[in-house]
Amino acid sequence: MKAVWLGHQLRRQVQVHRWVILAASAAFCLLTLVAGGARLGARTVARWGACVGQNVHLIVYLTDDVDQDRAQDLAELLRRVPTVAQVTAIDPATALTRLTASATAFGLDSKALDGLEPAYFPRSLEVKLAPAADLSERACDLAKRLRPVPGVLQVDAMGSGLARLSVWVKLGRKLGAVVLAALALVTLAALATVFLRSRGAVARRAAVLVQLGETAAGIRLPASLWMAAAAAAGCGMGALVLALGWQPFVSRLERNLGIATSAPFPALGRAEIAMGFAVVMLVGLAMGYFATPLPRTSDRA
Amino acid sequence: MIWLEGVSCQRDGAMVLDTVTLGVARSELIVIEGAAASGKSTLLELAAAVRMPDRGAVWFAGRNTAGLQRASLPFVRRNIGYYSPDSLLLLEDSALANVMMALAVRGESLARAEQSARDALALLKASELENRKVASLSTGQRRMVALARAVAGPPPLIVADEPAAGVGDEARATVASALCAARDAGAAVLAATTDAALADLLVGRGGRRVHLEQGRIAGAPAIGLVPALTPSPSLAEPFQPRIITLEVDDGEAEALPPATRGPA
Repeated sequence: MKAVWLGHQLRRQVQVHRWVILAASAAFCLLTLVAGGARLGARTVARWGACVGQNVHLIVYLTDDVDQDRAQDLAELLRRVPTVAQVTAIDPATALTRLTASATAFGLDSKALDGLEPAYFPRSLEVKLAPAADLSERACDLAKRLRPVPGVLQVDAMGSGLARLSVWVKLGRKLGAVVLAALALVTLAALATVFLRSRGAVARRAAVLVQLGETAAGIRLPASLWMAAAAAAGCGMGALVLALGWQPFVSRLERNLGIATSAPFPALGRAEIAMGFAVVMLVGLAMGYFATPLPRTSDRA
Repeated sequence: MIWLEGVSCQRDGAMVLDTVTLGVARSELIVIEGAAASGKSTLLELAAAVRMPDRGAVWFAGRNTAGLQRASLPFVRRNIGYYSPDSLLLLEDSALANVMMALAVRGESLARAEQSARDALALLKASELENRKVASLSTGQRRMVALARAVAGPPPLIVADEPAAGVGDEARATVASALCAARDAGAAVLAATTDAALADLLVGRGGRRVHLEQGRIAGAPAIGLVPALTPSPSLAEPFQPRIITLEVDDGEAEALPPATRGPA
């Protein structure tokens, strides 16, 4: 097939089937949004999980008479407990800095905190437990053992918070899976509709070309190319929407949910985007190829 | 140019063509006459490589098209201008684009294809239809466009089934002129018709008449009908198509099976 003839065919088909091509682009855009959104959504949830309490499962508030050395001794003691993964000593100044940062992140007036001094805050130890299914129970158990220890003022096992968070995360994941499945079904339906519409649109042209002696490859190539181009355009559009819209969307969501984190926003990597483009274009090529029926000119020929 | 050798064809168990042998040489026009269901259309479909015979051989360009792989048939078909009243056209495209398509498939440059398409439409007095969408044309006009597509170039072989079906006297004369012009340009023309007036017109301009009755050639062998399996000298000549050869240059010629010897 001559390149000029192929170009002519392509231009003509794009003119004639422009609505099918637009629909194909939209379907591939949806596919990109669903696939990319699922990936970014999973990363965002992980980011939230990491930031809630900074993975702190237990806070041990110390009495005023405990100095920094004694606090370090207690921290060292806690590190020897098998279920403990990490212990961080927080001095009063750090506690005040964190409170101010959180207040600013939530959009509160920082002037309200102007009168606070580090001395108002007790020294504390933040304890992170090793991952386990019964994290809430372990935290409560360790809190019970720590409360009688001299120098310990109060222990917050965050039991109710952890349990509630666990329930919410499970519910959120289930809802996310349902929404994702529904969107995937819609995407599949859109792609199937595009496939069938394309088949109808190019069937007559294919029948004419078979009659005129065009080869199977020559008949199928133009539809494959414009479908791949539509797929690339749709994928590009979807990637652009995710790149421009995901961060503002998540920011607004976090503001509404009261989640404050300084962790970087999740984004798709270049390799992921390139891979996505390649996969979508291959799907487009295959759809265009198989959407072009090759009618037999007779029952035996 | 084309040599149908003892071809037989059945449809739904009934014999449609029964051991028919027929050859058409370059610059020759053969008119096949016969009643409805006498096998004319089937014979033309065999000649145009649209259908394969149950028995016999169809020699074209030194190859038996009946023995070719499916992938090789396009290289045969693009050398044949095939017309039937139900020929498909692209409804969204202009008449000119439809005619050009056949030439472009044969490998013509777009400029040359456009010129040849304009000439073919002019030959059929359909120049005013050039830029009109086929969807907006009447059935008769569409048939003229389809016929123009078959004779454009012209290709080495033109196969026309009922080329003047449903047209008036003037259009009939135009159709006959177009077929004769293609013949005069060197094409082999095989036309089938139930229209006695068209057959007379074509025979009056040098065409040869063949009668088909119940799938068999009727009466004594007509001129142009080769009774034995010995080909005419013109058929023995090597095929030199003016448009494109079967050995196309796009690397797909390898799909053709090893050349089988024709009647030459």
